[in-house]
Amino acid sequence: MAGLAEALGWAREQITSRVPKADLDQRDPDYIRDQLPGTWLLASLYFRADVQHLDRIPAEGPVLLIGNHSGGNVPPDTFVFTLAFCSYFGVERPFYQLAHNLVVSAPPLGWLRKFGTVAANHENARMALESGAALLVYPGGDYEVFRPSWERHTVDFDGRMGYVKLARDAGVPIVPVASVGGQESALFLNRGQWLAKLLRADKTLRLKSIPISLALPWGLNISDLAGHLPLPTKIAIEVQHPIEVDGDDQAVHDKVMASLQAGVDRLAARRRFPVIG
Amino acid sequence: MRVERRNVINADRDLVWKIVSDPDSYPSFMTNLERWESANDQSPGVGARYFVHWKVGSVPVGGLMEIVEFDDLRDLAWVGITGVTVRGRIRLRDEGQGRTKVTFRLSYQAPGGIWGYIADRVAVRQVGRIAADTLKRLKERAESRG
Repeated sequence: MAGLAEALGWAREQITSRVPKADLDQRDPDYIRDQLPGTWLLASLYFRADVQHLDRIPAEGPVLLIGNHSGGNVPPDTFVFTLAFCSYFGVERPFYQLAHNLVVSAPPLGWLRKFGTVAANHENARMALESGAALLVYPGGDYEVFRPSWERHTVDFDGRMGYVKLARDAGVPIVPVASVGGQESALFLNRGQWLAKLLRADKTLRLKSIPISLALPWGLNISDLAGHLPLPTKIAIEVQHPIEVDGDDQAVHDKVMASLQAGVDRLAARRRFPVIG
Repeated sequence: MRVERRNVINADRDLVWKIVSDPDSYPSFMTNLERWESANDQSPGVGARYFVHWKVGSVPVGGLMEIVEFDDLRDLAWVGITGVTVRGRIRLRDEGQGRTKVTFRLSYQAPGGIWGYIADRVAVRQVGRIAADTLKRLKERAESRG
């Protein structure tokens, strides 16, 4: 038992020491611009993405974009929305995304920092908004992104509403971003929270879930740490109207959840088949 | 990539120019236009800027455009300042008997080397459809006024 605790402690140290300090200057507009055609091809041909109502995002100034999250560790909705935002407002408008420590510290994913991806914590989020940037946050995080595929059209943040305080402190509006399709990129079976607790990954790696799914090319995929090949599922995204933070946290959170769920329901109603769309 | 579409409108050049020289009317006949907003206070003419986005593929493509040529009754051209490299032109010529020949050109080049080239090739059909449909709607609009 002592050996296991030591090993987990070592793993924790390895990861936390690799989490890069958020340096907003690492975002590189020229790099993003060069990558847009490749991502446009992937979004248009492979995911047949459809992004609507970007005009609802305030044309300038800081804004907190709150999305429902889908697709496990390879979330197509994030990259489709990032492409859409950068195409619509231009790579010149600063735009950051919060991501799990494991994502920003993985050496093969270092390029994400050039896209403006920073580790998900309150300090980084505050810094991004204070700099005047748009910030994309998925409060549901690993809890929501690994929900079973049959709950794909349910928005569930597991009660997390710290983002409301963040928006209130920064004095910025919240714009909900609803999406569907991502949870059909693999067959997600179980969040595996029991497995995370059993292996103490919830304490050591901040992993609340070790999900179990059926995904390409692995077949049975436990943890999704190595990612997976997403199925060519149609991604549909609808930006909702901005919400001012003028009530108590619970009231604002309820408004955001209602707006997101209504958006997801609308998009889901237009969907005739899973994956195909 | 350069896409060019032409048609002949049964209306005189003055009338067609009145429509195309008023960029605020573009949303009423340009196909797949997702955004058209004035970006400076300048009235239509050389130097006027607009945020323009067409829905091409999955997302709106475009950026900040500036009018660089505004030749009365003849040519109106613009270039993209941000976003993909793009240049557009609407060209009017007399076709006789009260008719006007309209040419709509869009030249564009995506960044990103080989991926940009492939994206340009993939998009060319849709851009062609946008140009053709835009001219069709312009014709309907002009002829309904004439």
